[in-house]
Order: sequence, then structure tokens, then C-alpha cells
Amino acid sequence: MLEQRAQIPVEQRSYATFYVAFSTLLFLGTVWAVWDEVKIRRPWKEYQEAYYRTLYARLDSLKQAELNDIDSADVADLQRTVREAQDALQAHEYREAVGRKNALLKDLDVATREWRFARSRSDAAYYQYQKASLKGADVSDLRREVDRHDADIALYARQMEELNARISGLDSVINRYVDALQKAHADARALYARASSYDLKLQKAQEAPLEIGQVMLPDFEYTPFSEVKARIDRCQTCHLGWAEDTMADAPQPFTKHPLPELLTVHNPESFGCTPCHRGQGPALTKGYAHGDEDHYWETPILKGVEIYATCNSCHLEESVLKHAKPFTKAKQLVLESGCFGCHEIKGYSDAPKIGPSLNALTGKTNPEWIYRWLRNPREYNPHTRMPNFGFPDEEAEAITAYLVSIGKQSNYTPVAVQGSYRGGSPQRGRELFESVGCQACHVVGQNTVVRDERGTSYDIAPELTRVGSKVNPDWLFDWVRDPRHFNPTTRMPSLRLTEDEARHLAAYLMSLKDQRALPSVSLEVENAMKIRRGDALIRGYGCAGCHEIKGMEREGKVSVNLSDFGRKKVEQMDFGNIHELPRNSEIDFQQNADGTIAVKHTWSGWVYGKLKNARLYATERIVQKMPVFSFNDEEIKLIRSFLVSMTRDVPLAPHQRLYTKHVKDLEAGRKLSVHYNCIQCHDVEERGGFVRVLYEDPGLGPPPLPETQGAKVQEQWLYAFLKNPTTIRPWLKLRMPTFQFSEDEIGVIQKYFLAMSKQDFELREYAATRVDAKYIAPGRKLFELYQCAKCHPTGSADLSELSASDLAPDLGLAYKRLKPEWIVDWIIDPQKLQPGTRMPTFFYEGEAPDQETLGGDVREQAKALSTHIWNLGRRKQQ
Amino acid sequence: MGTLMRIVMLTLISAGILLAGDVTGKVSFAGTAPQMPRLRMDADRFCRAAHKTPVLSEEVVVNKNGTLKNVLVYIKGPVSGKYSAPNEKALFDQEGCVYIPHVLGVQTGQQVEIRNSDNTLHNVHTLSEKNPPFNAGQPIKGHKLTRRFEKVETFRVKCDVHSWMGAYIGVFDHPFFAVTDDNGAFTLKNVPAGEYTVEVWHEKYGTKTMKVSVPATGKATADFKYPN
Repeated sequence: MLEQRAQIPVEQRSYATFYVAFSTLLFLGTVWAVWDEVKIRRPWKEYQEAYYRTLYARLDSLKQAELNDIDSADVADLQRTVREAQDALQAHEYREAVGRKNALLKDLDVATREWRFARSRSDAAYYQYQKASLKGADVSDLRREVDRHDADIALYARQMEELNARISGLDSVINRYVDALQKAHADARALYARASSYDLKLQKAQEAPLEIGQVMLPDFEYTPFSEVKARIDRCQTCHLGWAEDTMADAPQPFTKHPLPELLTVHNPESFGCTPCHRGQGPALTKGYAHGDEDHYWETPILKGVEIYATCNSCHLEESVLKHAKPFTKAKQLVLESGCFGCHEIKGYSDAPKIGPSLNALTGKTNPEWIYRWLRNPREYNPHTRMPNFGFPDEEAEAITAYLVSIGKQSNYTPVAVQGSYRGGSPQRGRELFESVGCQACHVVGQNTVVRDERGTSYDIAPELTRVGSKVNPDWLFDWVRDPRHFNPTTRMPSLRLTEDEARHLAAYLMSLKDQRALPSVSLEVENAMKIRRGDALIRGYGCAGCHEIKGMEREGKVSVNLSDFGRKKVEQMDFGNIHELPRNSEIDFQQNADGTIAVKHTWSGWVYGKLKNARLYATERIVQKMPVFSFNDEEIKLIRSFLVSMTRDVPLAPHQRLYTKHVKDLEAGRKLSVHYNCIQCHDVEERGGFVRVLYEDPGLGPPPLPETQGAKVQEQWLYAFLKNPTTIRPWLKLRMPTFQFSEDEIGVIQKYFLAMSKQDFELREYAATRVDAKYIAPGRKLFELYQCAKCHPTGSADLSELSASDLAPDLGLAYKRLKPEWIVDWIIDPQKLQPGTRMPTFFYEGEAPDQETLGGDVREQAKALSTHIWNLGRRKQQ
Repeated sequence: MGTLMRIVMLTLISAGILLAGDVTGKVSFAGTAPQMPRLRMDADRFCRAAHKTPVLSEEVVVNKNGTLKNVLVYIKGPVSGKYSAPNEKALFDQEGCVYIPHVLGVQTGQQVEIRNSDNTLHNVHTLSEKNPPFNAGQPIKGHKLTRRFEKVETFRVKCDVHSWMGAYIGVFDHPFFAVTDDNGAFTLKNVPAGEYTVEVWHEKYGTKTMKVSVPATGKATADFKYPN
């Protein structure tokens, strides 16, 4: 064919076929390009269409539900009323009134016109008159003309007035009909108001344009080259329903954000989404935007409990995050597990060592026990926080030798004479143990309810099931009587036991023996070589990270800094000889039937394996020193979420958290309340109160310390109470321990409570609080009438009849203990300040039972009662 | 048109009544009745003086005919139809320092009148979880307050002034519930015909269930036996 074509002269050849073919191709190419650009590469458009469709359907069904809720009888009634009102307009009276009004309006128009003309004429005449009188001419005629026109004005004005009066007379008739109709229409609107409230939203959903939603934060962070970099988030292009109530249960990506309260501070419209969730903000397809299908994106979207990890970018210094409870728990786990003893961790630089001092162990226990403990701490105590270093026999013996040698250098001797615990009654000791508060922290035997309530895999204080085989009785007697005699910095508080009580308790604890037959060991603890070897081992393993050990005061942290661990590359991680789980596997860690272990070779998989068994990646050649912890699966995932947060990616100042004085006070208080384990008994900031599980009625347990605590008690009283606790709740056998707080620590607690109540420390002379005389008599009357003394002692009443469980705090102490304005708030609604309290409100639904005194006014009555209560103690004192 | 609709609705309602039956039965108690401890009311002079004879705990009350009193009987699970709360109030009284009744069944949204008929201070403290708990003091004899419970739940009520005082309130979203009386008998009236699970609840012995078929007319019987 081409040969034939070649024979045709050039001028005569036709290019039509080529032209048609190529232009068709070009046309198809253009169509494809447009289609690709507009549709295929913009999947978000489909999401938006689907979203607005769903939203419309949901709003519409809500509207229909509202319409269905309208009583058909009401509709019929209303329709009848409207019809009647409309029919009424045909009535003779109305039509006649309207006709007459129209005629009068015409007359009024005429009169008004004439009145205006008369005024113009009068003005003109007056001008002529003035002009003439200035020239000194005769003006009497002109003056008369002015007067004539003025008379006309008055005439027409009268006419207008008359007409207006008649019109308004007719109006009152007409309005009667019109108002009835208008009211009927208004009623109809009101009936449909709830349904039609959806109309605007429906219209918006229908008319919404398809467009990219974008939030830009111009000065969000630094690049690795320290240049300010913007953050651009387009997540809301698909996640359209984050603030839409009707989309609360819609499928993703349309679901409403589950924490709207959190978004009031972290508003996605001004803060974006990726600062919290991570992912690739500017991307507009799911895999790239979430970053989990983009292999090269370093910060993919966070999932599971790790979603809270980014809180640490700004809230590093805060240990309680109200909206991130799992992360609060993660931070507490890191604190209580003492990770910072060996690793440098941001935010934990000033945390105190978690283990006890080892400087005087020989006064407390024996070398065999120390040796066994070092070999495997969980053999003695399955819930200890001490991890297992897996020391071989030789190393354990050397460390024991060192600890014994420094123990012998200590000058501790139990205060009492030998055998001081003898004569104590184990039975009475047990009663004490179970009542005064020991079991809030210490487990014995099968009574593990408090531990279960706490929910961690470890105990915060040692289990005492076998303590009789561990400690020496003289030490024990001395310890329970005054723990700080043995260890001046211990967290163990004094329960103010008398000598007899201490004797009983020691006798009981000494009766708790290890029932197992353990092989005896023979140790050479005097051997100087072994002592030196122990010294080196202790330094190498970094024992001083958790324990105070004589001679090791200057030891640093023995392991790696974790402050940027969250960004560590998987290529930098060594998996030893551990098998690999497939990349798409749903689990990170697997123990096979043959005992071998496989982990996913990812950052998450490595960390899981390491926390599960710290020696997992050790090989013949690579020795690992990190001890084995016994975290459960949940704890491993929480600690891992904490490690995810360990990065240097921090937003710049405009987006940072402001650490106000109150926030700092709160944080100092939280640290202290965890250190001394206040939260074991007291529920503070929705944490703790575990011991309350021992009480059938939590109202009978130790009181929670609600946010209002700072507004409740007087600063001076709190100081004295923390120094030396006194009985406030006589029904509680549990004793508030004496912690021997320092002045600084008491200050921290006082400021903590005040900060929770958003108050500032002020010096007030509470004793000088003025009492308004008008409340004295009504206060006394109401106090009698409301029978407050039925439960509350008042410092003088005869209590012999009341059983202990029926008592409430002594009101005779109130004036020394409570802030007067708090008493008023408390009396009005105790449940509001302390949910679950046994104190009832006497003003149910804001109504006073006595409607006469002080006019039945609730606040006035509460003031009167508080005045009386205030006076109870004061009178006694005088 | 309104009138017509009303007539239609009335017809439907009356037809519904026609297609409903009663569930009756009794709750018997096997074995010897446990000895209930005497309530010691020494903490309040008024309470002690209010009774000439000893008052026993009402935790387990076995009737003379060997049946169990204070058992809450109700239809478990959904019942078709909407049941608005009755207009009459349910009465929950405190008299002689005990709650009367000891077990009370009410409908959601029904008004419960809580009354103190004693010349001493009582407080009503509900330990409810689904309904918002409340704790109200009633210091004056004859003091009344009204409460509505909106969520289906059975919960304990106690008095913090008098530790021995306790009662239970069961809230249901339909009217088919009853509390066994001095004869241990109960009747669930006008239950729409159909298959149901009837459940009984006792504060000490827990719950038991039974499948019951309610005929269009007539009665269905459901007898229960405690403690086993």
C-alpha cells in the first residue's frame, strides 16, 4: 500500500486518514487527561459526595422523626384554628370595618394634603409679611393673610386628628381578626419549630461545594536545618464530620471526633490534625495521607494506645492528662518501673530512685536471703518491681558480699532490746494489719483485692506473705514502730503504733513464714576478692540507678539515652537470632509451640520483644545487661506508646503549652502524691482510691480528695494535720499515716490542693471571721430542725448511744478546719462537691424543708447553718 | 378528621387489650427459712421507741404458706408498644425506721413520692448507676419529695443515718412487673399476647428466668422456686 502511495505525486497525496486518526487520538488523550485530573486523581471528591449524601439522609430522617413526633390531633386542632381565623375575615363586621377604614384613609390623604398646602401658603405669606415689615411698609393686610392661612392649618389638623381617631377605632376591630390569624400562624410555626430547625442544615448539605479543606500553621516547627516550617493539613477534606453531632456513629472517614471536649483547646480549625495524629497532612489519598502505605513517610498515623504519644510534644512535664488516661497510666508505669534509673528520659530527670537504700541490709535480713533474692526476686515475691538480672551464682554471691560489707559499716542498730517483739499476740497483730491500713499497700496471702483493683502486674510495696523468713524480728519491731529510724528517706509512713501495737504486728508478721523447702546455700561473704568483684558488678549493672548504695553515689546512668528513641530507625536495631514475623502480621510477638520466638522486624516489634524479655536479642557474642521485667501485654503496649512519644519533634512556642504557676503547682503535687502513694487510698484527679474496694460502702472508706479540696480546708489546719494527723472520721479504723513530710513537701501539697481548686495561697485569720448576727438565731433553729446532731457530734453531745459507723465529722472542729464559704456550698449540695458522700442534701431540688425560716431561701439557710456550726467550736473554746 | 383519628386509635387500643392475657404465679421457698437477725435500732431513740416488738431484717421473708415475699417479677427484654408512665404516684415511705415497701417496682418516668412519716431524720441515698444517684435528707415528719427514674435498673436505697435501713427500687420501661406479696403470689396484667422471658429477682438469692407464652385471651402461669 505504501508503495502505491509512493507512486502518487506529492501534491496529490491525501493526509486525511492520518489526520483523522491522530486527531482522534489527541481527542481521546485530552478526554482521558481531563478525566484523570478531575476524577481519578481526586478520590476525595467521592468521599465528599458520600459524606453530604449521608449527612443529608441523617438530617432528613431526624427531621422526619420530629415531624412524626407531632401529635396529629394538635395538627388538626391548629388547622381548624387557622381555618376559623381565615373564615372570620369574611365576617360582615370585619369587611365593613376595612371598607370604612379605606374610605377614611382616602379622606385622611385629602386632609393631609390640604394641611401641607396650607402650611406652604402660610410660609409664603409670612415671607412677604416679614419682607414688607423690614422695608417699613404697611403690613396689616399681609398679617391678616398669614392669620387666615394659620386658621386653615388648624382646621385641617383638627380634621386629621378626627380621622385618625376614627381609623384607630376601626383598627381595634380589624386587629382582633388579624391578631387571631397571626397567632394561629405563630402557633403553627412553633409546632413545627423543631422540625424546621433542620432546614438550614439540610440546605447546606445539599448545596455544599466539593473543595479541599485545608488548615495551615505557618510557624509550626523547625526543619532538621533549624528553619521554620509550616504544617499543612488537608485531613478535613475527607474527615468532614468531626464536629457533626449526627455523625457520631457514622463510619470513617465521617465519624465525629470522640473527644469534643478536648477539641475546645486543640481546635482542628486552628491546630490541624497531624500535630496530634501524625500522618502526611498535605496528601489527599488515604494511604499517603495516613502515611502507613507510604514506606518513606517517617511519621505515619498513630493507632491504638499510641494515639496519645504526641501529647508529650507539649505535655511532657505533666503526669496527669485528663483526656489521655492510657497515657497517664503509661507515664506512671515508666515512673514506677524506674526506667529512668538506667536511661536518660526527658521529663524524669528529677525523679527519685525507686528502690530502697541498700546500706544497712545486714540489720534487716540475712546474706542467704539477699543471695536468693539476687538470683531471682520473683521466687520470694512474685509481684515485686525488682526485675530479674539473671545473675549467675558467682555474681550473686559477689554482690551479696559487697552489700554485706557495707551493711556492716552502717551504724544502724534496732532501737529496742533483743526479743522486743516477743510477747506480742499474732492474732491482735493480724487484726491491726487488717484494720489500720497496712493492707492498703501490702498484700498477704490470697487477699489481693487491692492489688487487683490497682491493676498493675507489680505491687507498689512488697508483698509480706513470706516476710517472717526474710527479716530479723528486732528490725521489724523497730521498723513498724518508726520506719524512719532505719531509713530516714523511706516512703513507708508511720501509722503511729504504740509499742504494744508494734509488738503485736511484728509477732503477726514474723509468723508469716516461707513454707517451701529451699536448698541451703553456703556463701563466702567475707572474701575480699568477692567484695571487690561485687563492687565492679554493681557499677556495671547500674544498681545505683534505683538503690542508694554506699560508695556508688556518683555513678551515672548505665544505659542509652531514650530522648529520641521514638525516631530510631529499624536498621539501627539488632534482632539477634530472633525469627522474623511477616510484615503484614497482626501481632508483633509470637511464642511458637517449639519454644522459639518470632517478632516483627519493625520498630514496634523490636520494642515489644525487648519489653517482654530484655535479653531476647542476646547472642553468644552480644551480651545484654538490661534485666527482665514482667510486664503484661497491656503494660508493654503502654510503655511502648510512651517510647513512641520520645522524639525531638516539638511545636514552636505559639503552639506550645503554657506552664502557668497553677500547672506547675499541680504537677509538683502529683509527683509527691505518687511518690508517697497518696493515691493508693485517696482518689485524686480521677486516679487511685484503690483501697476503697475493701469497703462495701465506699462512703465509709478514706475520703477522695476532690478538686474542691483546696477550697475546703484551712491552710493552717492542713499544715498541722499533715504534720500530725488527727481523727476526723471516727468510723474509719484505717489511719491516715504520719509521713513526716518536710516543710517543703507540705507546701507542695497545700499548693496542689489550692491549684486544683484554682485558688491562690493566702494568709487568712480564720478565727477572726465575722459572724452576721442575723443568722445566729435562725441557724440554731435550723440546726435543731434539720437534726444535724443526729450524725454529727458537736463537741459536747453525749455520743455514748451512737455506734461508731453512725458518726460524721465533729462539727466542733469545723471552725478550725474548714473554710467558711466552703461550708455553705457543702450544705447546699454535698453530692456535687463529693459524689457518693453519705452527707445528704437537705435542699432537694433547691427547696428547703422549712419554708418559713429566712423565707425558705436555700442559700440564706445554708449561711445560717454554717454560722451556727462556726460558733459551735468557738463557743467551746471561749 | 381529628375525631376520626381518635376513634381509630381508641379502636386499636381496645383491640390491643383484647389480645392480651395475664401472667400469674407464685414464688415458693424450699427448705427452712433462714433466721433473720433482729434490727438493732439503738442508735436512734426514736426508732427504738417506735417498735414494741422486735423488728427483723427483711432480707429474706418467707410467708406462712412457704412462699417468698419481696420478689420482683417482671418481663425481661423488649415488650412491643409504647407505655407511658401512669399518672398515679408510687409511694415510698419511711415509717418506724424501715422502708415501706421493702421492694418497689416503678415505671420509667413515673413519679415516686418519697415520704418521711417518722419524727426523726432520714436520708434517702440511692446507689443507682444508670440513673443519677441522689442523697436527700428529710428532717421533718411528713416531708415529701418526688423523683422520677428514667433508666431501667434495679438498685439499692439506703439511709446513712440508720445503717440498718435498706430497700430496693426496680425501674421498668413497661407496666408488666410486680412484687410478691404475703402469699408469694403475683400477677402481670394485660401482657400483649406473645412469647416472653419472665424474670424474678431477689436481693439475696439473685435472678431466675422462665419462658412464658401469653395467649391472646386467658392466663399464663409461671411458678418459681427459691433458693435453688
